[in-house]
Amino acid sequence: MAAAGAAVLGARWLRRATRGVVPLGARTAFHMTKDMLPGPYPRTPEERAAAAKKYNLRVEDYEPYPDDGTGHGDYPKLPDRSQQERDPWYEWDHSDLRLNWGETMHWDLDMYIRNRVDTSPTPVSWHVMCKHLFGFVAFMAFMFWVGAIFPSYQPVGPKQYPYNNLYLERGGDPTKEPEQVVHYEI
Amino acid sequence: MADSKYKPAPLATLPSTLNPAKYDLSLETRKAQIERLSIRARLKLEYLLQYNDPKRQMHIEDAALIHWAYARSTNIYPNFRPTPKNSLLGVVAAFGPLIFWYYVFKTDRDRKENLIQEGKLDRTFKLSY
Repeated sequence: MAAAGAAVLGARWLRRATRGVVPLGARTAFHMTKDMLPGPYPRTPEERAAAAKKYNLRVEDYEPYPDDGTGHGDYPKLPDRSQQERDPWYEWDHSDLRLNWGETMHWDLDMYIRNRVDTSPTPVSWHVMCKHLFGFVAFMAFMFWVGAIFPSYQPVGPKQYPYNNLYLERGGDPTKEPEQVVHYEI
Repeated sequence: MADSKYKPAPLATLPSTLNPAKYDLSLETRKAQIERLSIRARLKLEYLLQYNDPKRQMHIEDAALIHWAYARSTNIYPNFRPTPKNSLLGVVAAFGPLIFWYYVFKTDRDRKENLIQEGKLDRTFKLSY
């Protein structure tokens, strides 16, 4: 019983092991071959078609990053949209990322998650918002500057202290008679 | 309102209701949509079969995740090629901060040193100079 079970398991294990190009008895943890991984920039139409298939995209939709030597390789250039823009009511495989299994991730996906950069449409156009905000801030700054140059306050005079201008408190001689300071007029 | 027409920006995209391309119902666009949907449906089926398989013990290996991680880490250097823009950026990023902070610290410390020599700096409670 145990021997038969072991034989079945052994046969299945053997088949799984020889499925990838690994020698008999060895089992790698990683099941992707070199052609399944991202590679260099595609030059021929066949390479483009193969890359599109690899990334689960239509050949017409597949657009690699321009080949300017910055190291993108054949990774597709997807539209720069944040995950917040995606349909909230669809049953995504990864609901918080609004992403499906096997769907090519955007190069900057870690930036476009819902906690970070959001590109969703705003109620008012971006330029209008910028104009309103910076216009208001600039106006207020200008007004404060004008107010600093032309200050406006109630008329003030020097402070009037009692007891002959605090003669004793300021260390005046108690034996001597201070000069009389009168702050009023009758 | 001065300009009431919505102009899209990188961080504020055009809503689909204002996008004339979304109202396009020609045969080519419909075919394209159907093709995309069929790819999505195939992947969905693959995923759900693995997800709901009662005999599955390990996680579901996602090729898209491996592609993303590989492309952003290991695949950068093999596809890197020095260009004028690249090299300039590298030089600026490598030496710019050093030169900048050198001048900042140097001028600040020289100013402080001059004040100390003239005796104008109040060093009452300072442990270092």
